[in-house]
Amino acid sequence: MRLLLLNLLRKPLRTLLTVFGVGVALFLFCFLEIVLAAFNAGVNMADASRLVVQHKESIIFELPMAYRSLIEQAEGVTGVTTASWFGGLSQEPLADGEKREEFFAQFATDIERYLSLYPEIKVPPDQLRNLLSDRMGCLLGVKIAERLNKKVGDRLVLRSTIWTQKNGSTIWEFNVRALYTTDSPTFDQTMMLIHDKRFDEARQFGQGSVGLYILGITDPERSAEISAAIDARFANSPYETRTMTEKAFNLQFVGMIGNFQFLLRSIGSAVVLTMLLVSANTMMMSARERTREMGILKAIGFTDGHVFLLLIGEALAISLLGALAGVGLAWLLANALHYNPKPDFFPIFYLPGQSMLAAVGLAALTGLLSGIVPATAGMRLSATESLRSV
Amino acid sequence: MCPQPIIQFRRVSKVYHKGGADIHPLDEITLTIQEGDFVALMGPSGSGKTTLLNLLGGLDTPTSGEVIVCGQDLAALSSHERARWRCDHVAYVFQAYNLLPVLTAYQNVELPLTLMPLSRRQRREHALKALEIVGLSDRVHHRPDELSGGQEQRVAIARALASDPDLLLADEPTGDLDAHSAQEIMSLLIALNRDYGKTIIVVTHDPKVAHAAHRELHLEKGVLSRDVDMKNQRM
Ligand SMILES: Nc1ncnc2c1ncn2[C@@H]1O[C@H](COP(=O)(O)OP(=O)(O)O)[C@@H](O)[C@H]1O
Ligand SMILES: [Mg+2]
Repeated sequence: MRLLLLNLLRKPLRTLLTVFGVGVALFLFCFLEIVLAAFNAGVNMADASRLVVQHKESIIFELPMAYRSLIEQAEGVTGVTTASWFGGLSQEPLADGEKREEFFAQFATDIERYLSLYPEIKVPPDQLRNLLSDRMGCLLGVKIAERLNKKVGDRLVLRSTIWTQKNGSTIWEFNVRALYTTDSPTFDQTMMLIHDKRFDEARQFGQGSVGLYILGITDPERSAEISAAIDARFANSPYETRTMTEKAFNLQFVGMIGNFQFLLRSIGSAVVLTMLLVSANTMMMSARERTREMGILKAIGFTDGHVFLLLIGEALAISLLGALAGVGLAWLLANALHYNPKPDFFPIFYLPGQSMLAAVGLAALTGLLSGIVPATAGMRLSATESLRSV
Repeated sequence: MCPQPIIQFRRVSKVYHKGGADIHPLDEITLTIQEGDFVALMGPSGSGKTTLLNLLGGLDTPTSGEVIVCGQDLAALSSHERARWRCDHVAYVFQAYNLLPVLTAYQNVELPLTLMPLSRRQRREHALKALEIVGLSDRVHHRPDELSGGQEQRVAIARALASDPDLLLADEPTGDLDAHSAQEIMSLLIALNRDYGKTIIVVTHDPKVAHAAHRELHLEKGVLSRDVDMKNQRM
């Protein structure tokens, strides 16, 4: 055991560089996982017990508001809310002092119904009361509130890229009445909800229509059946529907960047693999240089198994130290310090637990693979041979 | 104590196959060595001395014949069992680079003791005593690269002593040393044999070393060509 430690310290620079190499590789791996997790955030925050109803042809067409009560009557549906894309850009200076139009997601919806469908969203009761009694009110995720430098009670001005008010203006004002948080690490905290009543009355066109319906169902197992029943109900009407799980709905957007993800994953994997191979090679070299020492150990009475464990232990120690450094840094950055390089692009930026496990597993595998060759060789090597090679 | 005689070779041969040709480093060697003996193994380079020594220590196995050391037929043991057996009965001193460079003199001496059922304190006592016997009490915490060649060999001998082996095998232990250091090492080996009764087999080219031994074995092309018992001669 002590011999193992001392062997690691024999060439501290080389050990350090190898640990560093493994560390950088695994840091990159984790970073890649974070980015991919961010892309998939929408999919991961989807709940199997929620369905989305959109226009059959495309998400850009609207559905009549009257559908709500019809959908609500469908068998297996627990609740329905509307959701219309507002498409607004912030107009005031941001928290970082910059004056630019910040993009984020806003939905006009029946907030009370919406919240009952999303138990992930946590709003303080007193704030909620104020929000529901103010037509001009809005609900902000804590993360977007921070970015926009808004607190409860502030005024928020947005310019909609889609909707014009009856007075001809695209500038809309809201009162920040409530902020929401969540316990779920995958749930988006950069959304904004506004009252659909006020939205519908104030807009110049499109009255009486909604972008989407979101509904809760009693039994996720029956989602296909319920979807089919809803779509059948509106078949052959002027507004036919397409109902799908929230996950499938969100996947539509991920699919658009799917090729990019594939490219990212390929390049990333190649880089990570290369670095791991380089580190593995160094570990093998360092073991090969010590052939004679293996012979001495055997002459003293160490068994082949001892020698095997010594060499594999060394490689494992190096790669796991590297993993600790690389994964630790990534974890610190994303999960502890909540670093996010592009908050408007990645609503969620965190390292999933299973990616950390995968990274550590990858390190262990590298250690085992780079240790197993010299360790097996060292074990098989006859002591007479190794002692001859002075 | 071992059953007598400590070493018995019965028609021991070793054959290597190299590039199609067979090499016979040892050819039907039959040999008996008694406990407490001090044997000098001599012969030209390539005559099979190292091969013989490695068979004695169970580092290698014969192609044919029986090697019985301390009553144990080494060919009957697995490589794992031979390692265990070696740890209990044999100690090696090589020509050079005997020590692990990352360990101090003390740690090198203690290393084989970690394989034995000894407490930490016992290990410490044994190791320090062995270093004292070889006269290196003041170099305990030096690493091999801070020691002279002669000192390194003395540490190697201390390591061999610490585990209290029945048999000490030394392969040209003075081959890399100057005359003075070589003299010191030889005196040490003689003392170990005389004062502690260790059975010692030392491979050497040095006639002076050989002269100090009880018995001279000469190997030539894998065959024992001469066996001189000096104890009897002197008497
Ligand atoms: N592992 C091996 N493979 C092939 N030939 C070997 C091997 N070990 C020793 N030999 C050969 O056996 C002969 C005896 O070697 P060795 O016992 O080392 O001689 P010595 O120690 O007397 O110089 C030499 O010819 C050597 O080349
Ligand atoms: Mg030799």
